[in-house]
Amino acid sequence: MKPLAEGQAFPDLAFKGPISDAEAKELGVAPGKPFAFKDIKAQAVILVVFSMYCPFCQRDAPELAKMHQIIKDRGLSGKVKLVGLGAGNSAFEVNVFREKFALRLPLIPDQDFSVYKALGQVGTPYYYVLARSGPGFTVVEGHLGCVSSAEAFLNQALAKAGIGGK
Amino acid sequence: MRRLAFPLALLLALLPAAAAAQKAVPPELIYQPGQLKPVDSVLAVKVGDKAPDFDLPATDGSRARLADYLGKKNLVISFVPAAWTPVCSGQWPGYNLAKEIFEKHDAALLGVTCDNLPSLNAWIVEMGGVWFKAASDFWPHGGLSARLGVLRPEGVSERALFVIDKAGVIRFIDVHDINARPDLGQLAKALADLK
Repeated sequence: MKPLAEGQAFPDLAFKGPISDAEAKELGVAPGKPFAFKDIKAQAVILVVFSMYCPFCQRDAPELAKMHQIIKDRGLSGKVKLVGLGAGNSAFEVNVFREKFALRLPLIPDQDFSVYKALGQVGTPYYYVLARSGPGFTVVEGHLGCVSSAEAFLNQALAKAGIGGK
Repeated sequence: MRRLAFPLALLLALLPAAAAAQKAVPPELIYQPGQLKPVDSVLAVKVGDKAPDFDLPATDGSRARLADYLGKKNLVISFVPAAWTPVCSGQWPGYNLAKEIFEKHDAALLGVTCDNLPSLNAWIVEMGGVWFKAASDFWPHGGLSARLGVLRPEGVSERALFVIDKAGVIRFIDVHDINARPDLGQLAKALADLK
C-alpha cells in the first residue's frame, strides 16, 4: 500500500476515539463523540501515525512532545493542530504511550486499523501535513520515519501549509 | 506456511514496530509467515488449575523455573510463536514500554518461544534487548507449550498469555489469534484482578 499523495484530498474519515474532553476541546470538536476529521478547527493539521509498539515511534516521541510545545509557545495552537493516530492501538495502549512520554497532544486510538487502512497502511511513524482546503484538508507533505528536529520539521510543515511562523 | 495478502501488507506496514526502544530489527531479517490459522491447538489447562512445573534455559544464561516465582511474584508468561517474525517482534518491545504495569502488580514477565536458545538470543539482541527474562522451550521440543496445550502442529507455540499468581494458580489465559497482538489493556486488567 502507498501513502496518500501530496496534492490529494484527505479522505473524509470519522475518528472514533475515544478521546478525552481536553483533546476534544483542543481539536474544536464535540466531546465524547466520534468526529469527522474535517471538523477539526485548524488551518493545518500535522497527523502522525504511530504505534505504541513501534520502536521508531518510541524514539520519536520526545520530538513529538517538543513539536507540540513549540506550536503552543509560538501561539499557533489555534491554527495548527498536532494529532497522533495509534495504528492498531487500543485506548489503553495509546495511554501507555502518552504517559510514558508525557505527550499532551491529542492521541486517537485506531484499534481496528480502520483509519490506518484508509491512510495507505503507512510505515510508522508517518507524518501527514494537511492544509485546509474548503471543507476538508489536502495533503501537502508526507514524511516516513523519525523527525530529527521538531523545530525544523515544523517550520517546513508550516511553510508547506502556507502558515506564517517563525 | 502460506504467503499472505492483506494481513501481510498490514504487518509489513507496521514493520518498524519490530524492535525495542532504541534498536530495530532490519526489515530484511523479518520472516513473513503469512496469514495463519488463528488458533491451532487445544488448551490442556484452564483458569483455576495449578500451573505445570517448568525448567527452561533463558537467554541470560540462567534457568526459568516456576519455583523461582512461587510465593514471591505473580508471573505472566508470554508465549510468542517465533523469533524474527513481525507481530512477535512488536509485541515484546511493546512490553518494554509497559514495564511499570507489571511492576505495579508485583508481576514478573517471562517470554517463551519454541526457538532454540541461540536464535532466541540473537533476535533479542537485535531488538535492543528486553527487560524481562526470555526462555527457550525448544527441547524437549515445545514441552511446556504442549503441557499447557498451546503447541501448534507446525512446532511453534500459540501467541498466548498466562497469568499465574504467587500460589501457582493460573488466573488468566488468552490464547490469541496468532496473527494479531493481544491488547495490553486486557492483560493489565487481568493483573489488576489478582488482588
